[in-house]
Amino acid sequence: MPEDRIERSAAGVFSVMVDNRREIIYLAGPPSDRWAAWNGNVYRVSADTGTRSGQHVSPLGPAGHSLVAPMPATVIAVLVAPGARVAKGESLILLEAMKMELPIRALGDATVKAIHCRAGDLVQADQELVELE
Amino acid sequence: MRPASHRQSLEDDIRPDMIQRLLIANRGEIAIRIIRACRELGVETVAVYSDDDARAPHVAAADRAVHIGPATPAESYLSIPNLIAAARSAGADALHPGYGFLSESPALAQACERARLVFVGPPSGVIARMGSKIEARRLMQSAGVPVVPGETPDDQSDQGLRRAVDRVGLPVLVKASAGGGGKGMRSIRDAGDIDDAVRAARREATAAFGDGTLYVERLVDRPRHIEVQIFGDHHGRIVHLFERECSAQRRHQKVIEESPSPALTPVVRERITDAAVRAAAAVEYRNAGTVEFLLARADASGNADRFYFLEMNTRLQVEHPVTEGITGLDLVSAQLLVAAGAALPWAQEAVTSRGHAIEARVYAEDPARGFLPQAGRILLYREPRMPGVRVDSGVAEHGEVSVHYDPLLAKVIASAETREQARIRLVTALRQFPILGVRTNIAFLIGVLEHPRFRAGEIDTAFLDAEGAAIAAQIPTEAPPFVLAAIAAADEQEREQGAEPDAFGSVAHSSWDPWVRLNGWRT
Repeated sequence: MPEDRIERSAAGVFSVMVDNRREIIYLAGPPSDRWAAWNGNVYRVSADTGTRSGQHVSPLGPAGHSLVAPMPATVIAVLVAPGARVAKGESLILLEAMKMELPIRALGDATVKAIHCRAGDLVQADQELVELE
Repeated sequence: MRPASHRQSLEDDIRPDMIQRLLIANRGEIAIRIIRACRELGVETVAVYSDDDARAPHVAAADRAVHIGPATPAESYLSIPNLIAAARSAGADALHPGYGFLSESPALAQACERARLVFVGPPSGVIARMGSKIEARRLMQSAGVPVVPGETPDDQSDQGLRRAVDRVGLPVLVKASAGGGGKGMRSIRDAGDIDDAVRAARREATAAFGDGTLYVERLVDRPRHIEVQIFGDHHGRIVHLFERECSAQRRHQKVIEESPSPALTPVVRERITDAAVRAAAAVEYRNAGTVEFLLARADASGNADRFYFLEMNTRLQVEHPVTEGITGLDLVSAQLLVAAGAALPWAQEAVTSRGHAIEARVYAEDPARGFLPQAGRILLYREPRMPGVRVDSGVAEHGEVSVHYDPLLAKVIASAETREQARIRLVTALRQFPILGVRTNIAFLIGVLEHPRFRAGEIDTAFLDAEGAAIAAQIPTEAPPFVLAAIAAADEQEREQGAEPDAFGSVAHSSWDPWVRLNGWRT
C-alpha cells in the first residue's frame, strides 16, 4: 500500500501507513464536528471554529464572565445572590448529575450580576447559570 | 441420602433446579453479565428497565423485560414495590440485585423473602448486620479481625458529627453508613472543613442510598486497599478466592483492580485471607461477598503486614472478573447455584490461582475537564477482541449514555502469566477500544497503567489523587497529522459524492471508493 494513501477499510474505519506501521483511525460525526480515535486517544475536530485539535474550547473568560452548566444536570443549591462579591474558586451553584455533586466555581474575583437558575431546575449542557461582572 | 456434611436445615428444601426464571434488578454491564451466566445454566431471564432504558442492551439480552418506571432511579431501579411487582408479573422465582442500587438493601432481600422469591445474595439479616458499621465492627473484633477506629454517632446533626470527629481524631473519613462506591464519602484533615464535608457527604448519601446517616472513621494514611473474595453456602462451607488489589482509586472510586496484589507476601496473604474467612464465618455468610481491608504502609521498624477490616460488601463486586481471571471460576454461576441451595462447587483446596489479571473501568467522563461525567449518544463503539482479554459492557454503538445513571460503560480485563504481561495486554486492548461521541477515560487509564509507580506496583489509595491530574494533563489533545489527513479524506469524499452523514452521524457510506490519495499531510 502506498504510504500516502488512506484506505477506508470499513464503516468509520480508516487506515494509513506511517513509518512502516499500519495506523487505524476511527471516525464518526458530521464534517462540522468530527470525532476521531487513534491508539487510545480521542480527538474532536470542529470545522466551524477551525480548531483542528481535541482541545475543548472554553467559552469562559476570567473576569466578567458567565458560568454555564457543563452537562445536563439538576441544580441542588444556589449558594449566592445577585450583588454578592465572590472570590476566585468560590462555589456558586451546586449541580448534581450521575449521582455526583458538581460545584460551579467562580473563575476570578467578581460580583454576581444575575442568577439564571433555581434549586430543583433541570438544566441543559451550556445553559447559562450565573452572570458575573 | 444426603452427604453427611450437609446440615439438615430449612434451606435443604431448596433445590438447585428451583431457579427457573430470574429477575435481574439492575441495568448495564452487570445485568448482561448475569444474563450470560443464566444462559449457561438454562435459567430464563427477566430484565427490568426505566423509560430511558427501553432500548438498552440489557433489555435486548434478556428473555423478557418489564418496565418499572421513569428514568429517576428512586422511582424505578430503587423502587422495591416496583421490582417485586415486576417479578410477580413476569413469573420470576428468583431475583439477582447485581451491585449498586438495592444490592445491599436488607429491605429488598426481606421483600423477596416475603414474596417467596429466592434472593441471590445473603439473608436480609446478614445484609443488615454488615450494613451497620457498628455491628460489623463489633462482630469483626469478636472474631479477632482488626478494625480501624470509628463510629456512627447517634446524634447525626452537624454538631453531633463535629463531636464524633473530635472523638475519632483527625484526619478522618466521613462516609455514607448505607453504602459504598465512593458516593457520600469525604476526607477531612482540617477542623475548618468539617461542616462543608459533612453536609456534602450527607447530601450525596441521601441521593445515592436514600439514607443520609454518616459514619466517621480514622483515616489510615496512604494505605493499600486489599479485599478478599469469599463465598459461603447453605451448608456451612466458606471459602476464599484470594485477594484483589484496588488501590488505584480516584476520589474513592476504583479505577483499576488486579489480582494477585503485588504487595502481599505469601505469609500476609495467608493471614488476610484467613481473617476474611473468619469474618464471613462470624456472620454465617452465604453467597458471594467481599471483605475489604486497609493494608497499612510499612512502619518505622519495617513491619508491612498490619491490615484493618474496612467493611464487608454483601454482594457481587464490579471487579469480580479479575478473580475469575486467576481462578478460572464463574462467580455468578456459583451465586445462582448456591442461592438455590446447592453446596458450593469448590472446596478450599480446589481453589487455585494462576497468572495475573488486571481490570480497567471505562467511564463516560472527561479527564480534561475534571473527570466530569459525560452523557449523550455513542457514535462509534468497537470493543477489542484478542486472546486473554475480556470485555464486560452494557452499551452499544448508537446507544445513549443517560445522565441518570452511573457512567461506567465497560470493564476491560486482561489475563496473562505475569503482571507485566497482563499490564501490556490491557494497554494494548485499551488502545484498540475506540469510543466516539462521548468522552471516556480510556487515555487516562492507559496513562495510569504506563505510570512508573503502577508498573512497579508501588501504589496506594492516594496514588491517583496525587498523580491523576498530571496523568490527565499528559493526554494528547492535538491530533497527529495522519489523523487530520484521514478526516480530510472523509471530508473530501463526502463533498465529492454529496454523501450526507447517516442518521447517526457516521462517516461511512457504501458507495465510496475505498481509496483516496492525499498528498502533503506529512509534517
